[in-house]
Amino acid sequence: MTYTSTESPLPIEEGQLRVGMYDEELKKFNWNLLIIQFVLFGIGIWNLISATGVEDKSLGLYKTQLLWFGIGMALTTLILIMHYSFFSRVAYIIYFANILLLAAVLVAGKSSLGAKRWIGFGGLRIQPSEFMKLSMVICLAKYFETDRTVGGYGLKEMLLPVMLVAVPAGLIMLQPDLGTALIILFTFASMMLFIKVRPKTLILLISIVALTVPLAYQFAMKPYQRQRIVSFIDPQSDPKGSGYNSIQSMIAVGSGQLTGKGYKKGTQSQLNFLPEHHTDFIFSVFSEEHGFVGCIILVAIYLVFLLNGLSVAYQSHDKFGVLLTLGIMNVFFWHIFVNMGMVMGMLPIVGVPLPFLSYGGSSLMTSIMSVAIVTNIANKKFMF
Amino acid sequence: MAFLGQEEQIREFQDRFRYLYAAVFIGIALLVSRLVFLQILNGDKMRHYSEENRIKRVKISAPRGMIFDRNKTLLIDNRPAFDLEIIPQYLKESKQSAQVISRLSTLINLKPEEIEATLKKYKSQPSFLAIKVKTDLSREEVAAVESWKIEMPGVQVEQEIKRTNIYGEIASHLLGYIGEVNATELPKLNAVTQRYKQGDSIGKFGLEQRVEDTLRGQDGEKLVEVDALGRIKLEKGKGRVLATPLEKLAAPGKNLILTIDQDLQNAAAKAFGTSIGSIVAIDPRSGAILSMMSRPSFDPTEFSRGIPSAVWNRLLNNENHPLRDKTIQDHYPPGSTFKIVTGVAGLEEGVIDEHTTIHCTGSMRVGNRVYHCHKKGGHGDVNILTAITQSCDVFFYRVAQKLKSVDDIAKWAKHLGLGKRTGINLAHEVSGLIPTEAWKMKHYNQVWTAGETLSVGIGQGYVLTTVLQLANMYASLANGGTLYKPYLIKEVESFDGNTLQTFNPEIVDQTRLKPKTYELVKQGLWAVINTQHGTAYAQRLPGMDFVGKTGTAQVINISADKIYQKCENMRFKDRHHGIFAGFAPVSNPVIAVAVIAEHGCHGGTAAAPIARAVIKTYLEKYYPTIYGEKAVAARLKAEGQPVVPIKMSRKAAEDEDEGVVPNDDAAPPIQGPMPFLPPLPPTPGEGPEAE
Repeated sequence: MTYTSTESPLPIEEGQLRVGMYDEELKKFNWNLLIIQFVLFGIGIWNLISATGVEDKSLGLYKTQLLWFGIGMALTTLILIMHYSFFSRVAYIIYFANILLLAAVLVAGKSSLGAKRWIGFGGLRIQPSEFMKLSMVICLAKYFETDRTVGGYGLKEMLLPVMLVAVPAGLIMLQPDLGTALIILFTFASMMLFIKVRPKTLILLISIVALTVPLAYQFAMKPYQRQRIVSFIDPQSDPKGSGYNSIQSMIAVGSGQLTGKGYKKGTQSQLNFLPEHHTDFIFSVFSEEHGFVGCIILVAIYLVFLLNGLSVAYQSHDKFGVLLTLGIMNVFFWHIFVNMGMVMGMLPIVGVPLPFLSYGGSSLMTSIMSVAIVTNIANKKFMF
Repeated sequence: MAFLGQEEQIREFQDRFRYLYAAVFIGIALLVSRLVFLQILNGDKMRHYSEENRIKRVKISAPRGMIFDRNKTLLIDNRPAFDLEIIPQYLKESKQSAQVISRLSTLINLKPEEIEATLKKYKSQPSFLAIKVKTDLSREEVAAVESWKIEMPGVQVEQEIKRTNIYGEIASHLLGYIGEVNATELPKLNAVTQRYKQGDSIGKFGLEQRVEDTLRGQDGEKLVEVDALGRIKLEKGKGRVLATPLEKLAAPGKNLILTIDQDLQNAAAKAFGTSIGSIVAIDPRSGAILSMMSRPSFDPTEFSRGIPSAVWNRLLNNENHPLRDKTIQDHYPPGSTFKIVTGVAGLEEGVIDEHTTIHCTGSMRVGNRVYHCHKKGGHGDVNILTAITQSCDVFFYRVAQKLKSVDDIAKWAKHLGLGKRTGINLAHEVSGLIPTEAWKMKHYNQVWTAGETLSVGIGQGYVLTTVLQLANMYASLANGGTLYKPYLIKEVESFDGNTLQTFNPEIVDQTRLKPKTYELVKQGLWAVINTQHGTAYAQRLPGMDFVGKTGTAQVINISADKIYQKCENMRFKDRHHGIFAGFAPVSNPVIAVAVIAEHGCHGGTAAAPIARAVIKTYLEKYYPTIYGEKAVAARLKAEGQPVVPIKMSRKAAEDEDEGVVPNDDAAPPIQGPMPFLPPLPPTPGEGPEAE
């Protein structure tokens, strides 16, 4: 059953101030996303145990992942107690704090695999670019909530939101982390399209992008990034470098066939043919071991997750709620699509984690907080 | 409330949701269709690739540069060593472990139980990791295993490089050794770029350590296709994922050509026998090191593939310190070999000349203390030449006394390269010590005493030198005052023999001696060996004009009543060190040598013969027309005995323990590693008083 905007899922007495949760609200609490999240994380840990069981470097990393999940659940409780309008009030604070963290990474960050992406806090290593995706979406939701533009956005009206996106995207590109920057740009583009861009402006923008991409390829990209694109088009051109990863990953996915090789029996990952198989290439481990059947189930769960998220957005009664949920689900969608596409050789290799399955504290934490916020929006449809 | 004004827009939004749903479905449909393509349509092929045609990255180890001596005699080589490995996973999968192991046991002469025990030991590690079952297989074993390979899945022969020091223990301190890079070093080594991985080798000592960057090559990489049993597929074409085998070739490290001469090294090793000590030989015309060795030693080859801890502990706990490089890591009181410095200071500062004569009565009183000569009855009247020849202590006490202060001796010691590191390209070099008045004030906050100057004058007291410094000092004396920086590497060449870099002599100090001083020093040193009164007369090399100076360094403080006791009657560890430094030939020196023979008692009998052997080998090898056996014999016959160029004032010196004198402020005994600062000497009056 769906509600129209004037109806309410709960009988509300006139003038009653509602704080926290009532029993009846608890009964009708929308657990859907939280439950799906548990299922996905469960699959993730199970899969991670297989993926990290062989290599000294990553042995037992799933324990760290469990710890992060525990912290995430505590944060979820905290977010559910609040009202999501809180994020509207602090949107710009969160945004600027995250920008500062990104800048700090460039100055004092820790390097790994040729990029500076992490910053240390005591013993913790966090990756501010992961959090930036959520901060960005909160900030954009806030901006569009208060913006009064009517009849679609033109270039002039878009200037400020573009700036809001360009700064973090630029900082992330400098790390360099092409994947995360692209996710932010894709999410922004999706949101912009949803909010409506004037047709003329849209055509203009598309032609500008079509012109700048070859230029960026030539002048702004690092050699290894260019290499990835070349080897995506022709993996055999560089089978030692990124082409190697692509070939091995495709072999892993394909060799899973219908039912997979069995849990912990994926030779591609267990014999170390796969690179980074506990982070960005985690899906190839899963698909090698569980085959087409397993993959379809996993993809179906992601689909249900996305659809549930969209329905929350659909049912939300205020602009901030709609846009925030939409933005968050956009981030999820692009992660799932880009990551799986890259693992299966459909897209160039850019470092993008698969939500709930890839190892990584910052990524997991961002996903969990995102789900908590959407759940909050799903259950608190009114702002008082 | 805000949302009330947004109703219109929200309704507008809701209309657009169908596009979103459509986008999600399209995205998911794309992913699913790709899954179908890879797993269903191409699943068989992909499974085939993964099972039968695994692509594996194999590291191609870059050979480390080789090390040659000055005549391109190979000193350190990379020799292949073959290890037998088993990958348990493949063995298990083959379901015939028992047969494989029993066959293997006959092929490599190892009991089946031993193989099983090794496999059991590594049971906890992932089963696809290779386990080393036997190292250093013989050629026959390798051939046998290779021919049965098809029948023995999971069994493989791995070729590794064994860094081999061809001359074993000879010069192991100089050449050094390599070892596996340890986890704590890695972050520092890889700070700028990723250069080392766990398991890589790195130079840990000696030249292997100091010129690591030159010697080390760059590992390559090769993509090979291996089948499900880990065997590398050889046949081309059919079912291969890679169109062509791709590899990045390894870049071998650069070779070193040293200034060392291996024949000299061998001669020195032979002369040393089982003695403890060290030798350095330098070309006085350039500072090139011709020979450098410390005894006892160790075999670096044992280190290159991981040294057993028992061997390591034995080396570490050996009281003769085989791991220490006694040429640069230890410093000793130079004893009488230092008297030349005092003599040079006296002559150059003008306080003595060749006519200065001093009467030695066997001792000398300064204030209320008595300073002894090693010869109990005294040498009578001595001049600079006879003093050097017979190593008269009293003469040099007087010279030291005549000088303005100890700083004059220090000045000339420094000109001759003492008291500071020579700067040789080896780690752990100590600087030695040449005391000055200011130094003592700074370190002990005490005023320099006149008596201490006397001790310094005969190379005792605070004076400490390394054997390398001593050799370099005599090289400088040999060429008349030019001090070179000693160097070991003559050339760096590429692995295929093209010269990349040549090293030239480097002058450190150019203070020339006055011709008169130079002449007197040469004559004095000549007489030490070539006249009957000299302290090393037995070591002369007729026709080669081998010259030098003997010395003795006390190991323990000796009380006055024991000073004339025979050294050989003491406990071995208490016996004096014998020291010798010299050069040849005197007229046109081409080699300078310093030797210490620890606990050898006398410089003349323990150290000089080693120097003599090296010098003889060198001159005969490089100047056969002048110094070859026949040439020397012919010349001696024609010339008769070489003419003694000076008149000696007295007859032979009987006592050889020339440095051993009971002085209160003698340097503390040297035992094991020396701290930089010697402890404070006892205040005058407390020590034993002679007479």
